Amino acid sequence: MKKTNMRTGAQALVDSLEKAGVEVLFGYPGGAVLDIFNLLPDAGFQFVLGRHEQGSAHMADGYARSSGRPGVCLVTSGPGATNTITGLATANMDGVPMVLITGQVPLSQIGTDAFQEADMNGICRAVTKHSFLVKSADEIPETVAQAFYIATHGKPGPVVIDIPKNCQQALTDAEYPERVSLRAYHPESPATTAQINKFAKLVNESVRPVIYAGGGVIASGASRDVANLAHKAQIPVATTLMGLGSFDEHDRLSLRMAGMHGTPAANWAIDEADLVIALGTRFSDRVTGKLSAYAKKAKIIHVDCDAASIEKNVGVDLGIVADIKDVLTTVNSRIRKATHPEWMKKIDGWKKSHPVSWKPMHKGVIMPQQVIEAVDRATGGRAVVVTDVGQHQMWATQFFRHNLPRHFLSSGGMGTMGFGIPAAIGAAFARPDHQTVAICGDGGAQMTFEEIVVAVEHKLPVTFIVINNGCLGMVRQWQQLFYSKRYSGSILTVRGRLANERLKQDLKYDYLPDIVKLAEAHGAKAVRVIDPAKLDAAVKKAVTSGETSLIEVIVEPRANVYPMIPAGKHVSEMLFK
Amino acid sequence: MKEEIYRLNCYVENRPGVLARIVGLISGRGYNIQTLNVGPTEDGSVSRMRIDVLASSKVIEQVILQLRNQVNVIEVTSRRRG
Repeated sequence: MKKTNMRTGAQALVDSLEKAGVEVLFGYPGGAVLDIFNLLPDAGFQFVLGRHEQGSAHMADGYARSSGRPGVCLVTSGPGATNTITGLATANMDGVPMVLITGQVPLSQIGTDAFQEADMNGICRAVTKHSFLVKSADEIPETVAQAFYIATHGKPGPVVIDIPKNCQQALTDAEYPERVSLRAYHPESPATTAQINKFAKLVNESVRPVIYAGGGVIASGASRDVANLAHKAQIPVATTLMGLGSFDEHDRLSLRMAGMHGTPAANWAIDEADLVIALGTRFSDRVTGKLSAYAKKAKIIHVDCDAASIEKNVGVDLGIVADIKDVLTTVNSRIRKATHPEWMKKIDGWKKSHPVSWKPMHKGVIMPQQVIEAVDRATGGRAVVVTDVGQHQMWATQFFRHNLPRHFLSSGGMGTMGFGIPAAIGAAFARPDHQTVAICGDGGAQMTFEEIVVAVEHKLPVTFIVINNGCLGMVRQWQQLFYSKRYSGSILTVRGRLANERLKQDLKYDYLPDIVKLAEAHGAKAVRVIDPAKLDAAVKKAVTSGETSLIEVIVEPRANVYPMIPAGKHVSEMLFK
Repeated sequence: MKEEIYRLNCYVENRPGVLARIVGLISGRGYNIQTLNVGPTEDGSVSRMRIDVLASSKVIEQVILQLRNQVNVIEVTSRRRG
């Protein structure tokens, strides 16, 4: 008689996650997933309890960005599921592989407005790569295998598996499939010989070429191939926010980041180039500015694994839907060694005349850019840097010398405030041997501050740096530049608020909450730095301690991020102050 | 850009949720579906959808590429109906 492996759907799920190679599961329990939680103490992977489902989702995201392996998260039905939506949308925009398992009310109760019922499949459709509603325990192993396949093939993305409680309890002997076959989904296709030849020809003929590298280079593991291409034909390299770390910024060929807050050299080079080689990027509006005037002198090659990204925003001369590493491996053997002395001279001149820089504004007040430079110095540029969203994020792109892939993690497409703290924790679980530094503003830090408990509980070597300017800096900057200095809703300190937002009574302390006390209440060592002379020592001490700690740095509130190309404008309209 | 009626012919896996995904992709961009016709094919596991949408050619091209990215979509073609 054939031996059967009869067990509950919940056990089949845990077995399947083990088979899929899961090492860490992030999540939060609730009624509709109790059958699964009941099995976790004996599971072959670690479970990490977050403090809010959004935090758990961002942890899974940070884990995936840092490791390249899918991040996995488990939450309950209804509010548990809906709390993850921002996490899903964040991962979806940036192409991060994730599998989210949500509990669901029993099949018989779906559609009855049952307690903690939400139509998770309906809600998550627009912010996921795919979603499944399991309808029997027998489907669980195959669905898990398909979810991991979909999350990691083609353009990576988040996949949801919604599992009704009765399917978790029912018995099944279904086995985890050895191979996944999806009838309609075949994202991989190699480049044709004609495409490769045209790529090489355009490179060989170009006089002012630029490589423009996005997050797809990192996802494809093609950083070395990009460097080979750049060095062989002497092509300068600009990156997107998501592409930071794909090319060493210490290299003479590095133009650093392009776009709204990118370097003048990167933006001018793209504007002047006769060939733009765009790799794994989607020509975001934050990079292109005015589309009709973008890279007008250049022929454009665009390589991306997502067919829908090509010709979406920018017309191209050669579009290739394929894996970047595969394409470059072949192309690199077909291009000639070349140098472009005049082009390089021009670029070196731009870099020298217009480096990203900052000047002190008030004596004795720390400038926020200094904080990023202190982190770069203290870590030797080797730490995994995770940011939140806003001014500090842009300064982290500008004043840290990025040199390693998967070492700069940031919510690019979605711009999710509250991402930084939990994503840094997830990243630390992926690389426990590595120093992780989370750089946050005072606004975003307050959105997911509760997750710091998780870093403390697990003794993670994460340094949380809260750059406190007492306001929502990027909002304030836009209001200063484009909304006639009416700082509506953007000032967090007591002073400086508009009349309609003023508090009834004066507070003793201008900054609320007291971030240091808050961190201490969460069990973390915390220190506040106000004196510029004490900044370096405080950062150095924290990042070398190997402990969970927080540094609050009180900085100049009116510092702005420059250079800046206002939204929808051309490179020539760049603001420097 | 000039808007015209395009007919999208989609062959999709016959599963729950597929119709909602496809319709959501179109309506989520603010376009109105004028005619929608879903039916079985000779292969019972495949459904055919005919969707008429008023949009520009640029939008239709994008929608087709994104439809093809969907895990349950087997093939999409389109033609202009004028």
